[in-house]
Amino acid sequence: MSVVRETHENFNNKRFQSVERPKNITPDYVLRLQTITDTYLCSPDANIYDIDFTRFKIRDLESGAILFEIAKPVAETIEDNNEKLVENDEAIDPNSGRFVRYQFTPQFLKLKTVGATVEFTVGSKPVNKFRMIEKHFFRDKLLKTFDFEFGFCIPYSRNTCEHIYEFPTLPPDLVNEMIACPFETRSDSFYFVDDCLIMHNKADYAYNGGNST
Amino acid sequence: MKQKEKEIRILMLGLDNAGKTTILKKFNGEDINTISPTLGFNIKTLEHRGFKLNMWDVGGQKSLRSYWRNYFECTDGLIWVVDSADKRRLKDCKAELHILLQEERLSGATLLVFANKRDLPGACNIEELRDILDLDEIKSHHWHIIWCSAVTGENLLQGIDWLISDIATRIFTLD
Repeated sequence: MSVVRETHENFNNKRFQSVERPKNITPDYVLRLQTITDTYLCSPDANIYDIDFTRFKIRDLESGAILFEIAKPVAETIEDNNEKLVENDEAIDPNSGRFVRYQFTPQFLKLKTVGATVEFTVGSKPVNKFRMIEKHFFRDKLLKTFDFEFGFCIPYSRNTCEHIYEFPTLPPDLVNEMIACPFETRSDSFYFVDDCLIMHNKADYAYNGGNST
Repeated sequence: MKQKEKEIRILMLGLDNAGKTTILKKFNGEDINTISPTLGFNIKTLEHRGFKLNMWDVGGQKSLRSYWRNYFECTDGLIWVVDSADKRRLKDCKAELHILLQEERLSGATLLVFANKRDLPGACNIEELRDILDLDEIKSHHWHIIWCSAVTGENLLQGIDWLISDIATRIFTLD
């Protein structure tokens, strides 16, 4: 299985949304969104807390294998010998790249239980009510929503959070379509502090195992 | 309440170097060879015995302890981790535990004491810890002490299962 990651700094798929966007983006607003957004809903400057994502990791709990790991500033060696990772350290900095592209093999969609870890650091200000809402879509179909409140974060802290979850059971024809249509599986990750949107990251995914796209 | 919505929040505290992060990682089948002092929190969310567990491990260094109170809200279970071989700091350990137990926001929490590192030479046994930590004085919380080894994983499941059972009978019996 190969995992390829690229960054695109000027992501904009030029789609327009008919629903009027409120001035202040709230958790309720993003929870109600029915599709991937056409633009970023906040500027990179909105992150006044210097929250910095320093590691992403995905592991398979059945085999114990680490399927994907990227860390800042030094990338970790992938422990599972089947994996290869092309990465760009700058990509993790939310100010230089808010978009991540993942490429997986079809086997990824057959996993049963996975653990997804993020590690982040916090700047000098205490952070209250830190909350992540992440929505995964294939085209306009919502596949999964994560809604998790980290709550308080200590100034200058380094924190980790791993969500261990059963991979959603997807119908075989949907799986085949997802494999056949690379990068039409997409996600929006929204981060709120005190119900105020401070970060918005995007990702897209391919499951066709590194075949030319 | 629907079965799948049964959420349990567990807060794991204790002095620094007690083994909190190692317990959390070992319990979830993760590599424990590269653990460094926690300078913030580590969270795991997982399904266990039909419950959604949210486990919080907050760093135990002295400078971080004043922040512990930010994590008390909605806690169903408190795991207090003790380094059974760190005899020099058991008094400190007892004092911090008894301060926590006076916290109103933890008044509804079940307490599990993990006597970790029992396998180390010179470690206190359960009876000694029970005495030194004044556990028999605790009347305000359901509590239980069990020895464990975070490195080998011994008794981690037993301890956490006891905690969940106690919480479940307290909270979910009205279903």
